[in-house]
Amino acid sequence: MSTDEPSDTTEKHGHEHHEVEGPGYPTPAAMRTESEREKTAFVMGLRVGMDVDEPDFVGVVDVDPDSATYGDLVDTVEMPNKGDELHHFGWNTCSSSCHAEGLTRDHLIVPGQRSSRIHIVDASDPRNPEIETVIEPEEVFEHDLSAPHTVHCVPEGKIVISMLGNADGELPGGFLQLDQEDFSIDGHWEVDSGDMEMNYDYWYQPRHGVMLSTEWAAPETYYPGFDLDDVEAGKYGDSIHVWDWETKEHQQTLTFGEEGLIPLEIRMPHNPEETEGYVGAALSSNILRFWEADDGRWEWEKVIDVEDREHPDWDMPVPGLVTDILLSLDDQYMFFSNWLHGDVRMYDISDTGNPRLVDQCWVGGNFAERQSVGGHDVRGAPQMLQLSRDGRRLYWTTSLFSSWDNQFYPEIGEEGSLMMKADVYPSEGRMELDEEFVVDFGDAPGGPARAHEIRWPGGDCTSDVWQ
Amino acid sequence: MSTHEVRLVWRDGREAALSVAEGETVIDASERETLGLPYGCLYGACGTCTGRLLEGDLVHIERPRGLKPHHRRDGYVLLCVAEPRSDCRIEVGAEIQADLVPNPWK
Repeated sequence: MSTDEPSDTTEKHGHEHHEVEGPGYPTPAAMRTESEREKTAFVMGLRVGMDVDEPDFVGVVDVDPDSATYGDLVDTVEMPNKGDELHHFGWNTCSSSCHAEGLTRDHLIVPGQRSSRIHIVDASDPRNPEIETVIEPEEVFEHDLSAPHTVHCVPEGKIVISMLGNADGELPGGFLQLDQEDFSIDGHWEVDSGDMEMNYDYWYQPRHGVMLSTEWAAPETYYPGFDLDDVEAGKYGDSIHVWDWETKEHQQTLTFGEEGLIPLEIRMPHNPEETEGYVGAALSSNILRFWEADDGRWEWEKVIDVEDREHPDWDMPVPGLVTDILLSLDDQYMFFSNWLHGDVRMYDISDTGNPRLVDQCWVGGNFAERQSVGGHDVRGAPQMLQLSRDGRRLYWTTSLFSSWDNQFYPEIGEEGSLMMKADVYPSEGRMELDEEFVVDFGDAPGGPARAHEIRWPGGDCTSDVWQ
Repeated sequence: MSTHEVRLVWRDGREAALSVAEGETVIDASERETLGLPYGCLYGACGTCTGRLLEGDLVHIERPRGLKPHHRRDGYVLLCVAEPRSDCRIEVGAEIQADLVPNPWK
């Protein structure tokens, strides 16, 4: 069975020990071992902040090495409007609904970070996705929310999207809940948000009734670009928030201060028994580990500190800027990107409190010697990551966010960004850049585009959660 | 209905004339004429549509949250919430936004 097919039956993925059919896989190991190699990648493509008078698109990239169009952008599903800034996206359902009957992983929820418009894309045919419905910004603003970011499907027939601002692009943000059946807006997910004002990414571990959310800044602060004055004025985040998944109430704030400025992507192990995880603090360029202590309170520690580096052309030491982080489905390896330095790192996390650097791949950015791949100049640096389900191929794109790209890698705004790949050898603890694989979004139909988040039909390391 | 003539000037030397009707923002008018000016949020928060007013009288009909006071003093305007009150000349294009926030470490 190709995992490009929307999964919905018991027989298809050895799910016989459950009474009820559902989408996804019963365990992370089932997803890792019983799914086939990814053949298609969905990649967010965007034109915001470029002189390309075209809308953003959902890009379809052929990643099947047996195909004649391997490594090509084979389709682009253009959005009905311009200016959305497609960024992160998610599924209507995932392995967290493994026991739910009648659900199929066949719709992508594709928000516009700037427009606050939310697109529902029918992806039942992965090579021919189509826009099904659109939730217009006005409908979102009615709930005093804006700037949609992380999409997770959640049990009980809902989809929850982290929202970074209110209807004016100011604080506080919150969470928007959609109905999984008809994609209508239910309203806010959260019941009591405590002292949480900033929002960004979130992860949840339903077996333990916990959700954790992170902080970027108010949309009006991060939208126009990164200004150090805003950091000094306390307008950027330095905390994460612990929520009761059942009661939807804010429980605890973990404040990192200087050790954890701008905590963005948050990941917990796929093993549903785990009560710990990691968050990448972009500006401090640290990886922080958090865990639930015996008394039920959550604690944290810094486990990785990426050293700033001196650059002859820069006045100040350059931080790594840890912008994305992911865990392999077997929870043995962590990967993260240093977007300003130009590297992806691979850590052994079998001892969760003592991550061990096992390999590093340098390409592009401000410090890599290698500045081209397959004859294409690397514009930007490794940023948004996605790992194959079997943990053997790590893909990434090189754009961060239109206005931030324009500050740090302005060439992306002129010529678009890239998608690249490294082959990973988990049993040897190493990875190697695939010099044959490069998708240049500078050649996208209609003009250059930035490329952002990547997902596979059938689910991936950053989409699926287990109950 | 009164209209104002707006001269759009790109940094690569391109220019275009745009008639902006009363009650119309510069972005609304430029979309009507398919001139391809960049924009994002359409409510003055994100700065993607930043232009620089070279001549004329242009007012923001909503608070331009994406601009700091020093940007406004330097003539930067957010064209998604800006209406001309006279004929204007405005510098436009995606790279104007990049003026707002330079690389802070370089």
